[in-house]
Amino acid sequence: MAQTPFGRRILVVDDDRGLRHVLSELLQGDGHTLATAGDGPEALEMLGDGSGFDLVLLDIGLPSMSGLDVLARIRNMDSPPLVIVMTADDTSATLLEAVRRQAYRYIRKPFPPGTIIDVVNEAGTPASALSIEVISAKPEWLEIVAPCTLEMADRIQSFVLHLEAHLPEAVLEAVASAFRELLTNAIEWGGKFDPNRKVRISCVRTKRLLLYRISDPGEGFDIEKLRHAAITNPDDDPMRHLQVREEQGLRPGGFGLAMTRSLVDDLIYNEARNEVMLIKYLDEGE
Amino acid sequence: MAPRMRIVERRIGDVTILQLIGRLELETGDLILRDTINRLVDDGQVKVVLDMKEVTRLDSAGIGMLVSKYLTVRRAGGTIKILHPNERTDHLMDITKLHTVFEVFNDEESVVKSFGGAIHGV
Repeated sequence: MAQTPFGRRILVVDDDRGLRHVLSELLQGDGHTLATAGDGPEALEMLGDGSGFDLVLLDIGLPSMSGLDVLARIRNMDSPPLVIVMTADDTSATLLEAVRRQAYRYIRKPFPPGTIIDVVNEAGTPASALSIEVISAKPEWLEIVAPCTLEMADRIQSFVLHLEAHLPEAVLEAVASAFRELLTNAIEWGGKFDPNRKVRISCVRTKRLLLYRISDPGEGFDIEKLRHAAITNPDDDPMRHLQVREEQGLRPGGFGLAMTRSLVDDLIYNEARNEVMLIKYLDEGE
Repeated sequence: MAPRMRIVERRIGDVTILQLIGRLELETGDLILRDTINRLVDDGQVKVVLDMKEVTRLDSAGIGMLVSKYLTVRRAGGTIKILHPNERTDHLMDITKLHTVFEVFNDEESVVKSFGGAIHGV
């Protein structure tokens, strides 16, 4: 079958023969080249030298050898493919261990067909995959350090929001949007999209609140000089800042802070404004 | 990396309907939208409808591009109108006060009629 320009060589590792078949059909139909394995040892043998796989879709609950152990072995290879972990195990411990072992993305089973296609198509190349440094992987305190790339923003958001998947949809939507705005701000303005510069992200969860703290490597900013941001617009002119951005040669945008402030309960910057905390208070039971 | 948004383009009379499908976000959908609307303006097609029903994610860069291209089309003598904003898009437009900028519609016939054009597909 002819591959699309984005066609990947993918290995599906799952003990469920039906799922292997469905994923193969689905992804081949999308222009990728597929192979399958029913357990860890078979997968590792297929991934031996020169196999050329770009991507592994890896189940965690495998017989004889845990998917997390397979993941660790893959990551120790000389040129490891990206690994997308799939699992019905929705405990945060599994997710955090997958993050620690450098899974590229994490998908909770069952998933709609479109999700797997999107995640596969959004994946970068193995060569472009950068590591996330895990400082703390406790469910109530996740702390990571990551390179300043836009692709990393997707990976981080995917992991962090899976930890909060039980929240009501509206709350999760608001937190997801706010977190992404601040993270991309940190990566773009603080990190200049430079993979050699790092952002540090802490996610703290208590019974009654979610707190995200993002530190970027930039020098911060002076809010009085943010005429290119929508928060400085007069009420009757929601587009004034776009003129400023055009004059300064900045891309269209500038709505991030205005959006974020409306989506969470508290938004607190440090003095230099290169560190920010966003807080969402939770009702009991959320 | 594959594009995360695609645009299905069709014409009803002199109104161009762009159906946005996927993520209208920084460095992805925003650039596709920019290029598509720039091409329409170059071709003199300045009655534009953005059907947002299938926008799965929208960030501030996507909103910024919507507004920027609105200004581009206005300068060329036309306008952009929004069709079928989903709840999330509607909420973000509200937060950013863009309901005061864009005309928003929930059915295609009404938005096409609002341009004063015919309703025959091309």
